[in-house]
Amino acid sequence: MSDLAFLSMILGTSAAAGVLGALLGLGGGILLVPLLTLFFGVSLPYAMGASILSVIATSCGAAAGHLASGLANMRLGLFLATATVAGALLGASLVGVVPARALQILFGLALAYSALTTIRQLHVEVAESLEADPLAQRFGLEGVYHDQALGRDVAYHAIHVRRGVAVMFGAGVLSGLLGIGSGAFKVLAMDTFMRLPMKVSTATSNFMIGLTAAASAGVYFGRGDIHPVIATPVALGVLLGSYVGTRLIGHLRNTTVRKLFLPIVLYLAVSMLLRGLGLLR
Amino acid sequence: MNGAERMVSALLLIGGFVAVGLMLVGLVALQVRAARTAHPLDVRHVVEHREAGRSVDVFVSMPQIAHALARWPPQPVAIITAGIVVLLATPAAGLLAAMAAFARAGDRPYVIICAALLVMLVSGFFLRVGG
Repeated sequence: MSDLAFLSMILGTSAAAGVLGALLGLGGGILLVPLLTLFFGVSLPYAMGASILSVIATSCGAAAGHLASGLANMRLGLFLATATVAGALLGASLVGVVPARALQILFGLALAYSALTTIRQLHVEVAESLEADPLAQRFGLEGVYHDQALGRDVAYHAIHVRRGVAVMFGAGVLSGLLGIGSGAFKVLAMDTFMRLPMKVSTATSNFMIGLTAAASAGVYFGRGDIHPVIATPVALGVLLGSYVGTRLIGHLRNTTVRKLFLPIVLYLAVSMLLRGLGLLR
Repeated sequence: MNGAERMVSALLLIGGFVAVGLMLVGLVALQVRAARTAHPLDVRHVVEHREAGRSVDVFVSMPQIAHALARWPPQPVAIITAGIVVLLATPAAGLLAAMAAFARAGDRPYVIICAALLVMLVSGFFLRVGG
């Protein structure tokens, strides 16, 4: 295979990861790392370096589009990012102190519970009007977006803000401890606990993941794990794909996005439980 | 969309495309140089083996990049790496823009939140935080 064909295939794969990332609020690493290593034979450090770059590229492309369309709530993202980043700092300082496997089991169970909740509200388009949390009112954690699929404006506000912040903090601790991304946890905290519309949750997660990834990307760069030749098609593909994804999500229903998200949660729950039990490396 | 969101949205998009533009220019220049010198890049070999990858110029610090860009013609890999640096810095630039917009609007709680996030991100960089 020629260099051009090889790089073009990586570009196409990255574009698909970007579309999925923009729709589901994920960085794309969950898809990119296995594909780059298993199908393209890229060494794991370079695949992980490309993955962290793809998180930032997804965030740039998707968050720009989502902020412009009103789907991403910047105040909500910044407010919750303080919990995630603080958790990540604590998690990073606890490496070797806290048993990571116990935490993996704990979060695997939490994800399994979230998957069940997601199944229960699979057909809920927008949560019924619930009383706004005083914290949500104080920090302006509310908004309105125009839903193209429903053909009307949808107003929303966060509830159970403390619970959502606690989940975000826990997700941050786990990501700091294990060095994993936490886009799925962010979406679940907003959708399941704070009862925000699914599309607002994924769009706001897209804004947040860029901030948290930026903290760790410098480490990969300093180690030389972001290889220029592999980084270019990945960044270009993901950026274009995520921008297309932001156009696509407007036409999808919240229930459709939730159905697309469910397999990811199930996969994460099972893999985290298996890792926690020592059955998967 | 209010002023802060408009500014951050524009900054993220511009930062992303400037970064990717630089990376593309560098990659094309790298391919042209490889064709001229009759030494093919052999991308697959480079990305499959980390040690081979590191033998190709991989810049890991700003002074290295600046030095390689200052030469004429600039090194293609340095141009790509400059694009990577722009991409890595874009979320932090977005955060700074949001903080400035909130400060202009007199929204103190969110100025404090942005400042706290910036401090934590910088701390995270030195603590080598994952995720």
